[in-house]
Amino acid sequence: MLTLQNVSFHYGENGPEILQNIQLNFGRGEFVAVTGRNGSGKTTITRLLTGLEKPTSGRVCYNGQDVTREDAAARSRFIGYVFQQPDRQMFMSTVREEVGFGPYQQGKRGAELDAVVDEAMHKADVFRFADEYPRTLSRGDQQRIAIASALAMHTEYIVLDEPTSGQDGREKKRLSALMSQMREAGITVILVTHDMDIVAGQCTRVIVIADHHVAFDGTPDVLFSEGRPEEWGLAYPASVRMGRSLPGAPYCKDMATFCEMYRKARGIG
Amino acid sequence: MMKQLVPITKILLTGGTAVWALVLHRPLSLVILMAAELLILLVSGQLLKNIKAVLMLGIFAFFLGLIEYIGGGEKEECVAAALRMMDMTLLFIYLLGTTRLQDLTASMVQQMKIPYEYAFMFTAGLRFIPDFIEENKAVAEAQACRGLAMEGNFFKKVHRYMSIVRPLMLRSLSRSETMALSLELRGFGGAHRTFMDSVSPKGADYICFLLLALITAGVIYGRVILNF
Repeated sequence: MLTLQNVSFHYGENGPEILQNIQLNFGRGEFVAVTGRNGSGKTTITRLLTGLEKPTSGRVCYNGQDVTREDAAARSRFIGYVFQQPDRQMFMSTVREEVGFGPYQQGKRGAELDAVVDEAMHKADVFRFADEYPRTLSRGDQQRIAIASALAMHTEYIVLDEPTSGQDGREKKRLSALMSQMREAGITVILVTHDMDIVAGQCTRVIVIADHHVAFDGTPDVLFSEGRPEEWGLAYPASVRMGRSLPGAPYCKDMATFCEMYRKARGIG
Repeated sequence: MMKQLVPITKILLTGGTAVWALVLHRPLSLVILMAAELLILLVSGQLLKNIKAVLMLGIFAFFLGLIEYIGGGEKEECVAAALRMMDMTLLFIYLLGTTRLQDLTASMVQQMKIPYEYAFMFTAGLRFIPDFIEENKAVAEAQACRGLAMEGNFFKKVHRYMSIVRPLMLRSLSRSETMALSLELRGFGGAHRTFMDSVSPKGADYICFLLLALITAGVIYGRVILNF
């Protein structure tokens, strides 16, 4: 369990308050979306979790142990971060070496290193690029290589910062499938996103940050059927909006659910 | 008032103090010059804003003097070398802190007659520094999340830092390529170029020119005749 206990944060000594008394728990195998308006502090939450920022007050705990003062390198044993621009971390001449960088830092060598790298590349579906130069690949492939790098470190938590922004539909589907697969493997996926289709369709939990606080923490269906996401600058997913036009206004978390409901309503098939 | 001076006056003032620092050789004269420069920074509102940069320059100057001393230099010479370094660089904080880069470019092209490409290259280089620092931080963070810790002795740290330097260089190259393309697409290198703001000297600037000429003559006279 990874927790933020009464965490407040501001940049610099006299900077404006970004987060105030945040209290959050992240359990094993959750698929959590962290969302909110631009500048609301959602990325700051994930930076606090990974150790890239230190809270001005409050504590960060991992399995009951206070890790507030641990830096990002130390916390990499349990949490990985995939940045919006994956080429920031890429410098090795092959994908295999790139994926192997993290486990190498953890002290893995030889056959053990090869095994974790191969396994991670297979999981992220980048094995066919194993001997290619990572920087020349598409952004979607680079994103999956960055995810493979985190998987190779056997992290329990993985933070993905806007992984689907600027991706085409096919790549978005592949990334979504990979995220679900990670969740099924017991990894907690923490997704910073504005993509409400993924939030509604795949996430088990959604956290909305607004006015320096946690404005909402619950399941996507509650957010989109009972909450008022528009107040926090969030759009309704197309499937949810379309579902409301059907008899009984059922909650449709994704297009597949909508199609099923539509067929039912029309008595088709 | 110090802020209102046009870029060419600030360039001449910065260059002038560097010349005075080279001409003067006694620690006391160099200390007086440094005090004057700090006063200029204070009046222009740059001293407190850039206090870290001033302190860094001070530390660098100290080590410069120390190295010279370890290398067998006279105590007075070492102090003078450290002070000279400070005197030659302090006013760059004033120049860069109070001048917009586009005005600096305009001044270099219109008054110093430097070809636009070279002037642009200089100012683009300056603009690149904060971007480079930001990028360095971002790459270091990405590698830290993959377990890269800057620990161990100096050589280990240098070796590990290569994991930051390499992606940083690759990204910088790619950035400069994007910038070159962006410049091409916006007609960079056209024969006729205009600048939006006027950087022509005004009354206060001419007074400064006169003062600079008089002080320079005075410093050279003082050094050659009076051995300041």
